[in-house]
Parts: sequence; structure tokens; C-alpha cells
Amino acid sequence: MVPFKLILELILSTLLSLGRMFTAYVLSLIIAVVTGVAMAKNKYIESILLPILDILQSIPILGFFPAVLAIFITILGPVTGGEISSIFLIVTSQVWNMIFGVYSSIKSLDPSIDQLISVYKLPLIYRLLYIYIPASRSSLAANSIISWAGGWFFLTSAEVISMGRIEYRLKGLGSFIISAFENRDTVAYTIGLLTLFTIILVSYLIIWNPFTMRYTGVKTLLGFMRIYGVIEKAFARIWSLIIEKLIMAYSVIRGKIIVIQLYFLIPLILLYLYHTKLTLMTNNLYSEITKYGVEFLWALPLTLIRVYSTVIVGLVLSILLAYISHTRFKLGVLIVMLGEILSSIPAMMWWPILLPILRGFPYGVMMFVYLQGSLWYTFFNILLFGVSSLKENILELSKIYGIRGRYYLLRVFIPSLLPSILAGGLSASGGAWNASIAAEYFQVGGFIVDMGGVGSLLYKQTLAGDILGVLLTSFLMSLVIIFINKTVWARVLKKISGYYVIE
Amino acid sequence: MVTMLLSRGDIIEIVGVSKSYVSEGREIKVLEDISFSVGKEFVSIIGPSGCGKSTLLRIIAGVEKPDSGKVIFHLSRKPTIGFVFQFPTLLPWMTVLDNVILPLIASGVQKSRAIEKARTTLKIVGLSEFEDFYPSELSGGMKQRVNIARALAVEPDILLMDEPFSNLDPLTAESLRGEVLDIWLSSILPIKSIIMVTHNVEEAVLMSDRVIILSPRPARVLKIVDIMVPRPRTRKMPEVQELVDKVYEYVS
Repeated sequence: MVPFKLILELILSTLLSLGRMFTAYVLSLIIAVVTGVAMAKNKYIESILLPILDILQSIPILGFFPAVLAIFITILGPVTGGEISSIFLIVTSQVWNMIFGVYSSIKSLDPSIDQLISVYKLPLIYRLLYIYIPASRSSLAANSIISWAGGWFFLTSAEVISMGRIEYRLKGLGSFIISAFENRDTVAYTIGLLTLFTIILVSYLIIWNPFTMRYTGVKTLLGFMRIYGVIEKAFARIWSLIIEKLIMAYSVIRGKIIVIQLYFLIPLILLYLYHTKLTLMTNNLYSEITKYGVEFLWALPLTLIRVYSTVIVGLVLSILLAYISHTRFKLGVLIVMLGEILSSIPAMMWWPILLPILRGFPYGVMMFVYLQGSLWYTFFNILLFGVSSLKENILELSKIYGIRGRYYLLRVFIPSLLPSILAGGLSASGGAWNASIAAEYFQVGGFIVDMGGVGSLLYKQTLAGDILGVLLTSFLMSLVIIFINKTVWARVLKKISGYYVIE
Repeated sequence: MVTMLLSRGDIIEIVGVSKSYVSEGREIKVLEDISFSVGKEFVSIIGPSGCGKSTLLRIIAGVEKPDSGKVIFHLSRKPTIGFVFQFPTLLPWMTVLDNVILPLIASGVQKSRAIEKARTTLKIVGLSEFEDFYPSELSGGMKQRVNIARALAVEPDILLMDEPFSNLDPLTAESLRGEVLDIWLSSILPIKSIIMVTHNVEEAVLMSDRVIILSPRPARVLKIVDIMVPRPRTRKMPEVQELVDKVYEYVS
């Protein structure tokens, strides 16, 4: 018999977690629309933000988390600060691809729409509400699937925050499950996990999958269109109310609108650095930097190999699954649904299952964590958007001329998927770098595994509360990532985009 | 016809308009010292493709600024401009009605009033039944009709049309030309002048009161031909054929 108190606790935790997820998602939406529109419509903002976002997307956010956390908690106190940090972390796990989604859909808007805007002098608020936001709808739908999974994946890390030796726990489903696991409370652990599964499953079935199916060409998803229809109607009603109010407000303050961008972090960081009296460190800063640099260089090759082999494994796996789901439609729907759930399960939830294996084969566990943080980018890009963008006429051509088997796979199928393979690969490498922190050093119930590498280095620095170390190591890591992206990826992308654009 | 000429009176005056673009470091001159005036009439601007006709139209619409010269409107107030785009330029996420009312509500017209106006012009172009349809559910000709209805709904003083029939099949183009002329001649709407950019000589002669012929880039006014053939005109009329030949001579 499950005690009543436990159930109450569970419901409360679930509601709190859902609240955080929802708040973070809405924030991400707003940031994505404002930033994406600004980038697409203003050359200066574009030239500044595009490279910055490129970096932010691929650096280990978990690595910066302790620093951000420290800032919020120092300034706002543990309760408000903790809550804000956790929402902040969830936002950073879902906002980047959404920004790029908005940016590229507005960039690819028909130029005659710009003419329409200028001929009829549509004010900014009308452009946003009637043109830019609806124009980004399909890409936001598509990206929400990945982002929502990313949010759940980070939920436990966002609710159980450790800063050096101090640990803050926010009430929520993530911390509920972790606590249950630590207390060896099997009942609580099981119902916690079941609740998590149910919520993830339901949110996909009634919201994200139908949303994506309605506004993109994707068909390989499972969803309840009718329930979604009701939700959409309610949402549309709220939305039109918001539009009405905004336009009323606009007509009152006509022409005085200033769009405020919330880049509030920079002043906060400065304030924090002032707070911790950075001067103490500058005395022997030079020798410190050398020390961190040498450590980083020793660790780098290990992580480099791991990150890129993970990306390759993920690509091969995704392409194979895509081929299966392409040839067998029903199986494909099942594979994607399974992927949606598996990708949403927070990293720490895997430990109880992995623990028995861990003792014998730590290397495998490490690669598993790496894959969990990286595979899904290639998986969703290729299985959802790649497969549904396969051109009907090319498939027909293959059928008519009997192109089958290996030849079909190598000459027709994979080349057709290349755009999404590349897009997925780029995000997947970012994800793998990010995952290195959780993968290379882990601690489960007194059992410590240290596989070496940059991720392990970062994690140990985090544990030691070495903020300068974390910042410097992350910075060096970002440099390496940017270098690789700008040289290798950019070149491959350029070469391939010339050949494989199928009209 | 004589009465038409007498009542012309200048509405729009284009004075010495020049415009250049910078492309890949080189300056390309598109328009050079263009001057003409337009009265209460239907004027076509014709010229080889890429000569800057559409740029001129955008300058008249006030969307682009000329490098030198100016556009003067002889009206008691700021002119309302309707613009028929070359492509329908409809927002796919909005119904036909919402597309048509967008410029109206953006300029501050109350929604109920905007809907009323939109319904009137949708009726004129024969799309009353389709106001709840989405653009993807319409044929090419119907989309272009919505484009025209949107331009008419703002109750324009001046209607600008940028190759409005060039992307339609010949039959649809023909019937739409007739409809636009009917709207213009019936004066159910307060349109004072129509300026249409086209590269179709026959279309220009059949529809307009005057044809302004531009030279290849940089565009200058080569010749202005008065079309004093009574309406309705047909291709078969000898006067029409004669004028078409005359205009062709200048264009080529």
C-alpha cells in the first residue's frame, strides 16, 4: 500500500517540476522569437550574435552551471536563487536550436513579404504577431520536440544542485526520484519513475507530436489529434486575447515601443566578480593559467577521440534506424516514440540500471552516457526531418529503375538525408562535448569512476569549487570546439551543400 | 476621349528621378533622370526586363528613396496607395479575409470596419464565397485576385501594379485584365490613377490611356505613346495593332 503522504509529495513534486519546465519553455520561446527575429532582420545583430550563439550551443553548459548558480545564490539567496538557476539551466538546454529555428525560418521568408511589409507600413508589433511568429511556427514545432526532451534530460541536474560541498535540493520530480534512490525506497522510486514516464509520454502524445505533425511534413509520429485540437483551440483563444491586448497597448503607446533584450547576465557576472574580490587571484594568475593549460592539453586527446567516435556511432545508428523506419512505416512510428521517451529520461535515472554493469565495464558506461547526451540530435534530425523530406519523385525513380539494397542505401537514401545528417552531426558533437562532464567522472553511492579527459577535469574542478579553473577549462574547450567547427565542419558543409541539393 | 484628356490634371509628378545600386563593389545605375506626370488615368510603364521598372514603382510607392529627384502628389492629403504585387504575396497562415484586412487594421482601421471593406472588395473580385479559405486552397488566379482585393480594400487614391498578370496562365490573365478594367472604368472605387508595370506590349496598349516606354538599363524615358482608342478594345482592331507595332518598335 502506497502511503497517502508519499502520493501527496509526489503530486506536489510533479506539479513543481512541470511548472519549472513550462516556465522555462515559455521563456525559451520568448527569447527564441526576440533573438531570432532580431538576428534575421538586423545585419549588425546577426553578425554579432551568430558566432556567439554558435559557441554557446556547443560549450558544456553543465560546466558553467556552478558559476551561474553561485552568482544567483550569492545575490538572491538559496530559495529564489536556486529556483532561478534551475529554470535558467533548463532554458540553456532548450533555447539554442529554437533560436536557430526562428532565425532560419524568417531568413527564408519570401522576399516579397518584405515588400508587403514596407508597402503597407506594417508596424513592428503587427510584423511580429501576424508574420514572424506564424512564419516560425513550423520550425518551432519541430524544435520543440528536441528541446522538450532536452529539458527533461536536465531536470534532475537542475533540481539537485551541488556547489562544492554544499548541496541545494529543490522540491520536484527529479529530486524526488534521486532522494528515493539514495534512501533505497523502492516504492517511492518506482512510482516516481512511472510518473515521470507517464508525463513525458502524455506530453508528447497530446501536445508535441500532433503540433509537429500539423505544422511540418512529418508523418512518423504518434499523437492524439483530437485532444490536441481542443488544446490548440484553447491556446488559440488565449493567443488572440494576447494579440488583442498587445495591439490595444500598442495603439496607446504608438511609436514608443522599445524592444528590451534580456542580456542580464553580463552585469550579474561583473557584480559577482566584484563580490568575490578577484584581486586575490590576480597575484599568481600567470602561473595558474599555465597550470590549467597544461592539464587541459593532457586531457584533450582522450576527450577528442571519445566525442567524435560518439558522433560517428550516433550517425551510423541513426541512419540505420532511419532506413528501417523508411522501409517499414509502422515500425518507424514505434522507433520514434521510443526515442522520444528514452531521450527525455534524465541522465541520473539510468544509474540504478547501469550500476550492476558498472563494476565490470566502466568504459561501456561512459560511452553510454556520451551517447545519451549526443545521439538524440542525429536521431531526431534524421528520423523525423530527414526521412520526411525524402523526395517523392526520387523514390519513384528508384522504384521504376529497380534501384534497391546497398546501392539504394548509398546512392539514393544517404545522399538525400545529407542536409539533416550534417545539421544533426553538428549539434550532436556539441551535445557530446557537453556530455563529457557527466560521462568521464561519476560517483554512484561511494563508487567513483574517473576515466580522465577534459570532462573529468571540469567535473573535478566543479567539485572542488574551483571557479577560475572551470571558467578557464571551459574557455579552452570552447576554443577547440570553435576551431573544429570552423575548419572541419564548415568545409564539409560547404563541399556537400554544392552537390546534394535536390530540387 | 477628348473629355478624358481635359479632365486629366496632374495627380502624380515624377521629377528627375535617378537611382543606382552598389553590387559587388560596382555601382549600377538603374534609373536616370526619369520625369513624367500622371493624371486621372491608367498609365503603363513598359521596358525590357531588368531595366528598373519595378524600382521606379517602389519609388512611387514611397518604399524606396531615389538618389535624386522626387515624386510629388497633387492631392489634398497624403495619398493612400494600393499595391498589387507580381506574386500574390499572401500569408499562408491567414485566411483570405485576414490577408485582405491586414493592411487596414495595421493602419488603425477598426476590425469590424476593416472586415466590411474587405468583404466589399472580395465581392468585386468574385471571391465572396472564399473568405474563409487559406491561400493553399486557392488556384493561382484566385490568389492573384486576393492580391488585387487587398490593394483595393485600402480604398487607394493610387493603384500601383507590378506585372500583375505575368505569372498567370493566358486565359486567367485575360479575364483578370477585363475585371481590373471594369473596376477602373465603373469608378465604384475612388481610384484616381493606376500605374502598371509590364513587359507585355499588347497588355499595355489594350488597357491603358498612355504607355511610357523606358530604355534598357539605365532606364530613361524613351517615348510616351497616347492610346486614344475607345474602349472596349480588342486585339483585332486595326488601331490597336498599329499602336502595338509602334510601341514594339521603341521597345526593341
